[in-house]
Amino acid sequence: MTAITAELTVVLTFALLTAVAATFLRDVLNAIIAFAAFSFGIAVAWLLLAAPDVALTEAAVGAGITTVFFLVTIAKTVRPGGERLFEPIAWRSVAVVAVLVGALLTTVRSLPAVGAVNSPVATSRITEYYLGNAYDQTGVENAVTAVLAAYRGFDTLGEATVVIAAGLAVLLVLRQEAYV
Amino acid sequence: MSSADQNRTYVESTIIMTTVRVVAPFAFTFGLFVMFHGAESAGGGFQGGVIVAAAVLLLAFAFGIESTRAWLEGPLARAAIAAGGAAFTVIGLGAVAANGAFLEYEAYNLGKTGVKYGIELVELGIGAIVSGVLVGLFFSLARGDFESVNGSDADGQGGEQP
Repeated sequence: MTAITAELTVVLTFALLTAVAATFLRDVLNAIIAFAAFSFGIAVAWLLLAAPDVALTEAAVGAGITTVFFLVTIAKTVRPGGERLFEPIAWRSVAVVAVLVGALLTTVRSLPAVGAVNSPVATSRITEYYLGNAYDQTGVENAVTAVLAAYRGFDTLGEATVVIAAGLAVLLVLRQEAYV
Repeated sequence: MSSADQNRTYVESTIIMTTVRVVAPFAFTFGLFVMFHGAESAGGGFQGGVIVAAAVLLLAFAFGIESTRAWLEGPLARAAIAAGGAAFTVIGLGAVAANGAFLEYEAYNLGKTGVKYGIELVELGIGAIVSGVLVGLFFSLARGDFESVNGSDADGQGGEQP
């Protein structure tokens, strides 16, 4: 319990620092690399919170594919020149962000502790039902997959349709019929 | 087939090419594993599809985007997207045909393993959709700036044909 809290603190501090770096680095390439490091930190945080499915998604999408897409995008744009390493700080924007962060931080106190057994998610009857019946009803050991593909299969079909529609729309807009 | 030397931003690097030659098969296999094994361990079609697409993108970064595009020539990505969506829908409708509800895997009457295989097929379909969309998106985004002058002329900036 304390060990995981300490690990989480280290990982989230790393994520926070890389996020700040991604914000203030002037060169877009540096910012993209810092952003990939941020995604990696968040992925490790998910892993520590015992959510490997989400961690895998965050690592593959956030640290992997998104970084490559960003790289391809900046290769087609102009990088700002100059000697400075960091952007000048816009204090008005910092004030707005500080107010938003402060508002969000007020909700942190009402969150359950990490790994708390009496948190609403752990005690919910729906959670108990899925964890208790998923293997018997679907033969699938990963309850997340059971919910996604069996209990909520229709929702997942909708998501797949969204991915197809969005992908085809973007590919058509880019007018690259040969490789759609 | 345009030569890699014509790409403005592509620099042939022995280190990167050798590293990718070693890593890419493992990345690709791991992507397929995540896709197939999503029922027993963490992962699933979405994550596996992204990793498979990332393996293709690795090849593109190491060996040049145009060479990889030429290697993937044809309707591969398009076919993967369509086949994935079709597989998902057909599995759903097949259950209806077998007097069940839409996507009710039990209706196939293959027992618990049947349900599991249905779920795994659905995951494979999702993986095909995701990897197809991402690979297609990457090569569409990378088109133009990275390709030879001849290629972009042939594509035609002013061409209005649909």
